[in-house]
Amino acid sequence: MSPTPRPDESSVRGYIEPELYDVANSTWAEDIPFYVALAKAARGPVLEVACGTGRVLLPMLQAGVDADGFDLHSGMLEVLRRKAAALGLKPRVLQADMRDFTMPRRYPLIVIPYRAFLHNLTTADELRTLRLCREHLDSGGRLVLDLFYPSFARLTEPDGRWRLEKEFTHPQSGAPLALWSCATRDRVNQTMHVQMELRELGPEDDVLATHPHTFDLRWIYKAEMELLLRTAGFSRWEVTGGFDGRPLLHDTDLMVWTAWKD
Amino acid sequence: MSGPARRLGSEAGAGPAEAPAPRPAAASPGGSAFPSPFARPDLYDVLFADVDSDLPFYLELGRGAGGAVLDVGCGTGRLLLPLLQAGVDVEGLDLSAPMLERLREKARAQGLEPRVHRASMSSFSLPRTFRLVMIPFNAFVHNLTAEEQIATLAGCRRHLEPGGLLAFDVSAPTPARLAQPPGRRELEVESEHPVTGLPVRLWDARRFDVVAQTQHSHIEIEELDGAGVVAATHRSAVVVRWVYPAELELLLRLAGFARWQLWGDFARGPLAADAGLTVVEAWRD
Repeated sequence: MSPTPRPDESSVRGYIEPELYDVANSTWAEDIPFYVALAKAARGPVLEVACGTGRVLLPMLQAGVDADGFDLHSGMLEVLRRKAAALGLKPRVLQADMRDFTMPRRYPLIVIPYRAFLHNLTTADELRTLRLCREHLDSGGRLVLDLFYPSFARLTEPDGRWRLEKEFTHPQSGAPLALWSCATRDRVNQTMHVQMELRELGPEDDVLATHPHTFDLRWIYKAEMELLLRTAGFSRWEVTGGFDGRPLLHDTDLMVWTAWKD
Repeated sequence: MSGPARRLGSEAGAGPAEAPAPRPAAASPGGSAFPSPFARPDLYDVLFADVDSDLPFYLELGRGAGGAVLDVGCGTGRLLLPLLQAGVDVEGLDLSAPMLERLREKARAQGLEPRVHRASMSSFSLPRTFRLVMIPFNAFVHNLTAEEQIATLAGCRRHLEPGGLLAFDVSAPTPARLAQPPGRRELEVESEHPVTGLPVRLWDARRFDVVAQTQHSHIEIEELDGAGVVAATHRSAVVVRWVYPAELELLLRLAGFARWQLWGDFARGPLAADAGLTVVEAWRD
């Protein structure tokens, strides 16, 4: 991989401790078989943008896919490398910003799983990322990414109110956990600042430890995403409402986008 | 707002462009049926002639344009006639022949000679260019697809002189409105007929498709008699597609504009999150 100046990690500084990322997101897995199946069918190398701890990238490698990945968060990549070593895998991953990356090869498939694309907080950043992805695609190649549809109920909930996202158990220890979130929104610029707390619970639901973290994202509407793809040079795309290919009908659906480079 | 019209709503769907693909309306006893809310310009004027929140903005732009002005979706001339009276060299276009006919009648009564054309905002072609092109009163939301939206903006840009200004306003439904029970009849406007003195009411039963960003309105215009009983009901249907500010900026860019400013009201205040109104000024370089 070509040496590039070390990217500015300040935007991910508030992110969850890398050691806890997989724990906090252990209940989100339905995208893994979707992306692995796409990657296996890609007939060529695959690039995962914002690969993080390898939640999707490592299953791709295990499936025999020639996959590259990058992420802005060096701590996440350390976790990825450690997990890979334990699995006997040799991942090719590097630290890079999705708005400013260069890879030495071109891909028939680029994926940006788990709404990482929403970490672009301006239209200009969204376009930079899409244009770079398009540049790194083979002709006929496709970019696949998933977003949430900005649901009316979520967008109109009061700012600054803590809500319980989920109660679950630690995937290894079985200890009870709770994930809480509190969002404040800028509805003009379509951005939200999210504070989260992963709470380790005791036998009486008492809180044994709290792991606060934050991130920012910018939500995107369906029609807006079509204009972004078009502006970035894509001429053909489709969207579904979930990884099962259901039509996008409701504002509680996911948006799973596929955009082809001609 | 002055005058007899009491406009209760200010959101998507009131603009004066022809309703695209109107649903055939059912005949109602004692009233005529028409497919478009713009097929009865006399009632349209009773309901909307006194809307004036946008008048100072467009009048000032027209007076200061320093050249020809085009009013896209001019309807019955609510803004075009005051512009003409102010001595502005203004032309208009609208898709609705009945609306234009009423505009001409009103102009004749005022001794004015308007130049107006029946044309679609997404495909019009006029022989000259303008210093100012305006699309007032949320008419832009009658463009139902990105192709139509971009064609409208690009067509307006083609009709601008270098340095000329495109000004328009659009409304998106507020969260409060989106939260209303779908299909519930809401009283939008209540006016007094200037000749008969009898009440005229506009009701709107809306459904929203938030993913498609479309509002599906079933409109009922009621004419009441002296006893307050509904004497005639005119039903129509209209679909409009709202646009969010960031989306609007992408549309402007795709239509060839490089410089624009978005406002939250006609006094050029900042965009407000839940107000729904976006006022656009975009310049042709």
